[in-house]
Amino acid sequence: MRRILYILLAVTGLTACEKKLDLSPTQSISQENALLTEGDVKVTLIGAYGGLQAEALYGGDIQVMNELIGNSENIRFTGTFAGLADIHALEITTQNSFARDTWQGAYNTINRVNNVLSALDKVTTSADERNRIEGEALFIRGSLYFELVKLFAKTWGDGDNATNPGVPLILTRTEGVTPESYAPRSSVAQVYEQIKADLTRAESLLPASNGIYAASGAAAAMLSRVALMQGDYTAARDAANRVIESGEYELTGSFGDLWFTMIDNAGANPSEYVFSMTVTQQDGSNSMNTYFGASTGQAGTGGRGDCKILPAHIDKYEANDARGDYFQALGANFFTKKHLDLKGNVLVVRLAEMYLTRAEANLRLGTSVGATPLADVNIIRDRSNLPGLGTVALADILKERNLELAFEGQGLSDAKRTRSAWSGTAWNSKFLILPIPQREMDVNDKLVQNEAYL
Amino acid sequence: MAAKKKLAGLMWSLLLLTALTVQAQTRQISGKITDQKDGQPVIGATVTVKGTTISTSTEVDGTFKLSVPANATTLVITSVGYKDVEVAVSETVNVSMAQGQSALSEVVVVGYGSQIQRDLTGNIARVKAKDLENLPLPSVDAALQGKAAGVYVNSQSGKLGQAVTVRVRGNSSISASSQPLYVLDGVPVTTDDQSSYGGAMNPLIDLNPNDIESMEVLKDAAAGAIYGSRAANGVVLITTKRGKSGKTNISANFQTGFAEATRRVDFLNAQQYAELFYRSAGARDQIDGIDPADPDSWTSYADWFMDYYSFGEYSASSTKTYNWQDKAFQKGSYNQADIQLSGGNDKTKFYASMQYLDQIGTVVGNNLKRLSGRLTIDHKAYDWLNVGFTSSLSRTTTRRLPGDNAFSNPVQASAIPTITPFNDPETGLLTGTPPGDEYRALYFNPFIAIEYARYIQSGYRNFSNAYASAKILPGLNFRSEFGLDLLAQQEDGYWGSENNRNTEAPNGIGEYNTAFVFNYNTNNYFTYTKEFGKSNLEATLGMQYQKATSNYSRVEGKDFPSNSYQKIASAATISGGSTSQSQFSFLSYFARANYKYDDKYLLSLSLRRDASSRFGKNSREGYFPAASVGWILSNENFLSKVDVLSFLKLRASYGVVGNAEIGNFPQLGLFTGDAGYAGAAGQRPSQIANPDLKWETTKQFDIGLDFGFFNNRISGELDYYVKNTSGLLLNVNIPATTGFTSQVRNVGKLENKGVEFVLNTQNLTGKFKWSTNINIARNKGKVNDLDGQVIEGGVGSMNRVMEGQPVGVFYAVEYAGVDPNNGDALFYKNTDNNGQIDKTTVNASGYGQASRVVVGDPNPDYVFGITNNFSYKGFDLSVFFNGVTGNQINIYGMGRYSSANFRFEDNQTADQMNAWTTPGQKTSIPQARLYRNNGAQISSRYIVDGDFIRLRNISLGYNLPASVTRRLKLEKLRFYVSGQNLLTITNYPYWDPEVNADDFDSNIAKGNDFYTSPQPRTILFGINIGL
Repeated sequence: MRRILYILLAVTGLTACEKKLDLSPTQSISQENALLTEGDVKVTLIGAYGGLQAEALYGGDIQVMNELIGNSENIRFTGTFAGLADIHALEITTQNSFARDTWQGAYNTINRVNNVLSALDKVTTSADERNRIEGEALFIRGSLYFELVKLFAKTWGDGDNATNPGVPLILTRTEGVTPESYAPRSSVAQVYEQIKADLTRAESLLPASNGIYAASGAAAAMLSRVALMQGDYTAARDAANRVIESGEYELTGSFGDLWFTMIDNAGANPSEYVFSMTVTQQDGSNSMNTYFGASTGQAGTGGRGDCKILPAHIDKYEANDARGDYFQALGANFFTKKHLDLKGNVLVVRLAEMYLTRAEANLRLGTSVGATPLADVNIIRDRSNLPGLGTVALADILKERNLELAFEGQGLSDAKRTRSAWSGTAWNSKFLILPIPQREMDVNDKLVQNEAYL
Repeated sequence: MAAKKKLAGLMWSLLLLTALTVQAQTRQISGKITDQKDGQPVIGATVTVKGTTISTSTEVDGTFKLSVPANATTLVITSVGYKDVEVAVSETVNVSMAQGQSALSEVVVVGYGSQIQRDLTGNIARVKAKDLENLPLPSVDAALQGKAAGVYVNSQSGKLGQAVTVRVRGNSSISASSQPLYVLDGVPVTTDDQSSYGGAMNPLIDLNPNDIESMEVLKDAAAGAIYGSRAANGVVLITTKRGKSGKTNISANFQTGFAEATRRVDFLNAQQYAELFYRSAGARDQIDGIDPADPDSWTSYADWFMDYYSFGEYSASSTKTYNWQDKAFQKGSYNQADIQLSGGNDKTKFYASMQYLDQIGTVVGNNLKRLSGRLTIDHKAYDWLNVGFTSSLSRTTTRRLPGDNAFSNPVQASAIPTITPFNDPETGLLTGTPPGDEYRALYFNPFIAIEYARYIQSGYRNFSNAYASAKILPGLNFRSEFGLDLLAQQEDGYWGSENNRNTEAPNGIGEYNTAFVFNYNTNNYFTYTKEFGKSNLEATLGMQYQKATSNYSRVEGKDFPSNSYQKIASAATISGGSTSQSQFSFLSYFARANYKYDDKYLLSLSLRRDASSRFGKNSREGYFPAASVGWILSNENFLSKVDVLSFLKLRASYGVVGNAEIGNFPQLGLFTGDAGYAGAAGQRPSQIANPDLKWETTKQFDIGLDFGFFNNRISGELDYYVKNTSGLLLNVNIPATTGFTSQVRNVGKLENKGVEFVLNTQNLTGKFKWSTNINIARNKGKVNDLDGQVIEGGVGSMNRVMEGQPVGVFYAVEYAGVDPNNGDALFYKNTDNNGQIDKTTVNASGYGQASRVVVGDPNPDYVFGITNNFSYKGFDLSVFFNGVTGNQINIYGMGRYSSANFRFEDNQTADQMNAWTTPGQKTSIPQARLYRNNGAQISSRYIVDGDFIRLRNISLGYNLPASVTRRLKLEKLRFYVSGQNLLTITNYPYWDPEVNADDFDSNIAKGNDFYTSPQPRTILFGINIGL
């Protein structure tokens, strides 16, 4: 009898409950439950900024690549990141990890944006709130497509925009892998159309003032860049003028006040910043600092010291130009002081550029919308302790732009749109365009590779 | 287990007795079997007429009577615990048996039970206590190296306590784990890396190897399928020591020794460095058309460079060499003390042990200490009930080294030019230490991190296990086990302000991480044994439930007042923190039946049903069957006449196993809340769903032969297997334009085929004894289907998974050497021109036109181990070699910097002096052109052979004779000296061919070297005292 009892006990021991197998993750939630409320949409929008802030995007790599591509006249690159060294030497291969990471990062963030846009109906507190959320999302998407098409496709107007391949346009969120997931490259023209549509709508929806997040001025500033790239000077002038006239932004008193946002300004943006990525002690990084920065001994400075500024560049500044003094000598090498702050906010666009854009566009169009070209240029010169010019020509404005915005990631675009040689390389050289990452070519046979990498 | 042994012996005898009754035409013999040591009778020994089934067993007084055929010549006497004896047939046979076991009668641990080796139908490799005792191995898995056929072990690096790669019969997965399942006394143990710094650590370091009785590696499906979805990579059953009844044994062991890194690399000295640097700068000036005298020339840059980086010490005529590589290595030490107690009576037995290990590594800044204790008790509560308990507790403290790819990796100091002094003459501090110039070493000086930073990992581990085993009815047993594996770990790291260049934390940074893994398991199963006629049946039926929960926390702080304050309490800024959790569970049922007929024919069937939280909703449970047969040919009459043959068994098996090491929630579509921005919380889509996701399935066929000749003086095994894995869990690459880079799917197929051969010989058996064990295995893996995926990894993404190739082959452009006319590096185009491979070459500017091809394979063709044991009187000598052949290693990690003819400014390997200089010169090193990429592109230039043979262990011991020990009132006194890795035969150009750079290591990224530290060469002196 006792033994039978034991057998029963033992058999009971053999059975267990299958419910114990229903475990769920604790840090993550299922996608079905992720976008149900207004709060969910808002945190997903923050997630899109989080993506935008990644090193591979506006955390700095986009600006770094735009500076380094073939820029042998201004920068000696001595870093060991082979991807950047190759970009600098124009010996880029299809496996370039920086090209790959920026491509992947951009589309990852675009998917976050598309998730936000897919759930706008959940935002019910107010129309303003919904507009703001949609506007910010569209600003991020439009800006990223603009950066992608500049890096990975032929310049606007270099051949036929309608047939030159741009980048794939993904405008809806990904819920699964479908045949549509294997997207071909849209034409350069189509991509620019989308960028303009996104940014224009963003500008119309966004509030004039929006803290560290994108405001209508940011969308207008980005639109002015797009228009300049397209040679649409009217649109460029008007967009830049809208940013200036908004009164939301103000040039800093001295050139030096623009930088060291963490060391000197406790992480706050100067009044001149139109859009930037905020870096805090806990979050975010500045890869402009990583590659252009170096430790000067001052607390809070650092960086790999990879980008040594050549004397040939420093010689371009006039005497007494505050910007010409804005270089740090370390040993026999010079580094720009713009990116020494380890935790400095990463600048995307600032007001001075808008003055220079308005000046250039007005001059080219023979107009004086907002101010005369001469007045705009002299505002910028004056800030850097330079005497005002008496007359101004296009070359003066372009030179001023080149020096004012040096090592901020704009030089290559300016060379391409003005059809000027870039460090001795023709503006339309196929080597100034990044490859579609090999990984993408391997998984998606609808993609065509850029000429230099066939 | 002891009870089981007896039971098995009894059944054996009964079976043979039955067989006896059918014999006729006989003569009567008799005799007595005694123990050689004490002359006591051996009870239940089996006496068999060789080549027949005629046998009997001895009585309580050791005597036997047996009718043997008139023509019988030889008797075989076997008994559990004694070596087999063969004697000629005579009227009276008196034999004394020596203690010890013949391999065939040994009891082998199998899943949920044990079996006699002779009756096995599966393939199980066994490593016994003797093979792992007192080796300077921090973890038991490393002891499998070269000792078990078909088990490939790569120690990866010389860093203490880090993970090792173990592959049983090849790599049977791509994305899921390929490490075997480790089961410690019935509990699947936590073996995943829990550390958050540097390379993966090995959680098995918490286990004292001297507590291990045996490790059984279940290699084929017949042996493994009882572990179902977890057995595809093989199962390693670890059994700890338990007490034996009788006299209490106390054993103490002390060993001490020293260690050095096995190999160094030949780098340029200061004179050579400067010479080649100037040469490369001159070449660059020539290419760029700059006058070397121009201040903007590369030559002028070289002048500045030499002056700056040598603190002005450099001059063309003389300059001192600073060997930075040597600074990375130090003389390590090894000290270990062990005490073991065991004993008991028929009712209660115990085993207890303590160990202290203190090891200082051969790379500066690396050390490991372990303190561990264990207590095991077995108690016979009633005739029908046995209970037992074992528990161990250990603390392992390691000062970690950073990952291979970190600037603070000491071995990376090799890249610093030899013109740079170790210390800054202005401050007297290590070069690069603030307030001196932080950039005076070409790279961050890793010795600053050794001096002003530390990262200490402390693990506390408890393995506990309790069981009750009840005889319910005759032949029917029930066993219930409950086991725990508790892992608590803390990591405490601090980097002083001096590390600013590396950490970008000018006022210091600290972090503190914890991991807590609670893993519990219960096994409950019935065992039924029954014999009827010539048949013998053993059946098992049971269940297992396991659940593991891991909790992690982390906090990071910056801005410390000074290096006197190293805890985060003093950090002015808390710069990061998080907690996280993960868990999994398995519920399994299993059944097995072993059937034996006439001691000749063996059949085994098993089935397991697994369900797990890891599998998708649509495929939650799976069934894993296996069948195997064995035929003991040597027991057949037609072979009984073959005198030289003592044993011959043919076995074959087929079964299905799975691999469930696919991560904890791979099947779900997920959002993760880690995408904050500037202090605001954010979420992001993080994973695409796959509700159909399940385990990987491996179908394995094995055919094997076990043989013994000349009374088993020559014995061995030969196996051939085919493992077909399907439903491979792949991170299938999808276009990144979706916002995701991959989706986890069950696609793809791969196979592993191989041959294993084990040969044990007793070459000399007299006073001077010599035995040899050879094991050699050949595995050939091939990926058959990848669903078109491109999967790559490793340094330069050169490891690739491709259809028709083994997992992780090196795929790169093929290097074609140097153009003798101009010093250009050349690459074969290897493009396909209508079926014709274009073997013309291109230089660096045409590199993009060259096609990639398979240029190497990190998987060895042959893996082997050879052990020779000698003994004479009190002396014993063991010599153990192991090695691999046919594999390649990717040295691009260092090569692209250090063997790259001044692509960068790193110190170069000595061979770079042969860089091309003059037209017509034949060399394999392209012209050095400072900062120009002339051959440092990814190519087969950086794929080299990794074959090696290594004298893994040699040990010489002396046991004092009994006459002396008796006078000292000791049971045993032994002195020994042993050496590890004293000799390595290889052509490998960098540090160590046994390498896997930790920062790149994955299933597919094998065979990469990235300034990876070499294995230590250790010499130990030991003393072993038995009371």
